[in-house]
Amino acid sequence: MSAGSETQTPAIPMQDGLARRIWIHRADYAYVMPAILVMMIVIAYPVWYTVELSFYQTPPSLQLRDKIFNGLDNYKAILTSAVFWKVTWNTVVWTFASTIIAFLLGLGCALALHREFIGRGLLRAVLLIPWVVSAVAASYVWKWLYHSDFGVIGAALVGMGITDKPPNFIDNVHTVLPSLIVVNIWREFSFAMIMLMAGLQTVPDQLLRAARVDGANAWQRFWHITFPHLRGVSMVTVLLLAVSNFNSFIIPWIMTGGGPSNASHIWITHIYELAFGRQRWGVASAYSVLLFLILMVLGYFYVKALSAGDDKRQGA
Amino acid sequence: MTMLNLGATILRGATVSAMTVSLMTTSVLGQAVDLSKWSPEYVREIAGTEEFDTVGHCNAVTPTDYTGKLTFWYQGIFEGDPQVMRDNYRDFFEAFRATYPNIQLEEQGITYNELLDKFRTALLGNAAPMTIRLQILGGTEFASKGYLEPLSPADVGYTDADFWPGAMKAVTWDGVTYGIPTNNETMAFIWNAEIFKEAGLDPEKAPATWDDVVAYSKQIHDKLGISGYGMVARQNAGNTPYRFMPQLWGYGGGVFDEADANPTYEEIRLNSPESKRALQASYDMYVRDKSVPVSALTNQQADNQAPFVSGQLAMMISHPSEYARMLELAGQATGADKAVADAVVENMRYGLIPTGPDGKRAVVFGGSNIHILKPEYVDGGKVDEPAAKALICMWTSPEWSLKLAWAGSNPGNLGGFKTKWMKERLDTIKFLDVTTSMLPYGIPFPALPQAPEIMNIIVPDMMQNALTGAMTVDEAAEDAAKKVDALLDGGL
Repeated sequence: MSAGSETQTPAIPMQDGLARRIWIHRADYAYVMPAILVMMIVIAYPVWYTVELSFYQTPPSLQLRDKIFNGLDNYKAILTSAVFWKVTWNTVVWTFASTIIAFLLGLGCALALHREFIGRGLLRAVLLIPWVVSAVAASYVWKWLYHSDFGVIGAALVGMGITDKPPNFIDNVHTVLPSLIVVNIWREFSFAMIMLMAGLQTVPDQLLRAARVDGANAWQRFWHITFPHLRGVSMVTVLLLAVSNFNSFIIPWIMTGGGPSNASHIWITHIYELAFGRQRWGVASAYSVLLFLILMVLGYFYVKALSAGDDKRQGA
Repeated sequence: MTMLNLGATILRGATVSAMTVSLMTTSVLGQAVDLSKWSPEYVREIAGTEEFDTVGHCNAVTPTDYTGKLTFWYQGIFEGDPQVMRDNYRDFFEAFRATYPNIQLEEQGITYNELLDKFRTALLGNAAPMTIRLQILGGTEFASKGYLEPLSPADVGYTDADFWPGAMKAVTWDGVTYGIPTNNETMAFIWNAEIFKEAGLDPEKAPATWDDVVAYSKQIHDKLGISGYGMVARQNAGNTPYRFMPQLWGYGGGVFDEADANPTYEEIRLNSPESKRALQASYDMYVRDKSVPVSALTNQQADNQAPFVSGQLAMMISHPSEYARMLELAGQATGADKAVADAVVENMRYGLIPTGPDGKRAVVFGGSNIHILKPEYVDGGKVDEPAAKALICMWTSPEWSLKLAWAGSNPGNLGGFKTKWMKERLDTIKFLDVTTSMLPYGIPFPALPQAPEIMNIIVPDMMQNALTGAMTVDEAAEDAAKKVDALLDGGL
């Protein structure tokens, strides 16, 4: 496309280098302009409006249009609120544990499935099930599996004589978050597995064979040959998982609604409750702005990781 | 003595003294039915005594040949409702379309827990429906914010006296009426007589007081190893306040003074000794005695149904529809499960909600109201008022307000109690007389715009804080009172 445009370079003299480059690529810009306009409407405007709203008080007894400007009070209120720090800690634990464990589990499965063995295709399909099942349906199923009185897991543990009574998974402030993290990992490890299986296809077989001839053991082959080749895809996978977990709503909302006693609230569920349950649009917007900034930082590293892959290929 | 006879005997005496509670603060004189005579016998006596011409009446409000378009959202059926409710809703919309063939109706049924969120979001985008049927808790919030058009029974050919005085309070804000009650209900106490017998309790006698509920629950759990009382403490779910507030009021507490004869909502009482005592009772059942489902913190009432029908739960609070639902569940069971379920249905009993230590009996005066939106908040910017009034006239008529409340509630229009269908209900719905008899004990939620947050978030939060050990009972009650105070101050 660019090449095509360059052949039509006009004779108009251009003083400004940037303007000249834009003129040269005008056809490219024309093609992406509809998408940019749509994004301006559905992304940029809501972002701007959310930032604006974060500086207003929105009492539940007033309509939103009667909002009252209160400067940075919403941010101050958030940062001095005990609930904020509790929810932030939950979010960090949820995101970090879900991301790392799902990645490691996915890596293990990808490595195992990379080798030829009978039933590999079937196993690969089975391991993909958590990823293709609707998150809403999975949340309801897990809620019943975990049920504190009649859950299948509790009944199995009692039946096997491991415990006297069913463990309290989701009605206890100490066990609820780890229990939800297990569900999240179960759902996400397939994604990591698929990404890493694709990455494994790029590891040169001749290098692995040469290393084997040189006497490298399995760990050395993995660490010195396979893993360096997976670095790029691993970075992208971890960042995608982290962003997705930071924004994860369905599992905690459906299974516990953030309870009991806020023990499983993460930022996104807390924002939802503030906005739609309590109509604190201003405070919820301030929370959203903070979340947006954090996700932008993660997004920056994600784009950088992708660009690094492109640069490497171009260099090669 | 059968349960029904016993219930009738108790109710006869009890209902006479109940007339002084808050629901009756408005004069009972001039009502469509004589509320001062309210008793199971009176309800049976008036059933089938009057005929109503629904189509003729509504034709005078909006001619049946009127051509128009109407969008309508309603709090409708949910997963725990029996099939008869689904059938009646279907029949209503068929009847409306047959009566008003030129009104293009677009209706959407939304469940209780989702409706407020969806409606609030739609209002922010000026994409609300022209007409909405909201839970009783929601009307004041939207009226006070200016979203609703004034709408009174007179606008569709009825009078205020055709509806419960307490229900009319719930649709009134700042002296103006913004809606019409569609249905009103009070729940009752349900127990499994066989479990009571096995636990050494009188199988035909409901616990008289809330302290008895705590004691019975413990006795049942200790002797049989099953859950005694079906506590519900899920956050952001309407079922929670409907079950905890009767307990709170029974002990003499309240969020404000809503249980008093003339509430002003100016004094916060969530941290009063009486309110703390009520919370302590829940704490004793959940933490000290472990006699209620562990899953109470994430349970809604629908989650109590399976344990009850399988004989794993002895007591709960619910509507008359619970019996129909149990019959359905028993019908779906197979093998040994069916025998258990059939036995549970056979042993199902209904009684009055227990009293507090001082004999105070209270129950949430629940129900729904129907409203018309202002055009500026409606999708398309226009409201077809005649079409809206046609639908509202039919829904709030004696006939349909009764049929649409069939198994789960009672007609908002008191004339519904006089129809032949009320007679049919009394003959076919077991225990309907018990739940109907609770109506005079009904206390409406505070008529404040902040009421949904107080009832759906702050009260359940208080329970969860106490029951999980995140706070002591004292701390949880004080924390909740502070939150209500901050909320009334405007909060952030």
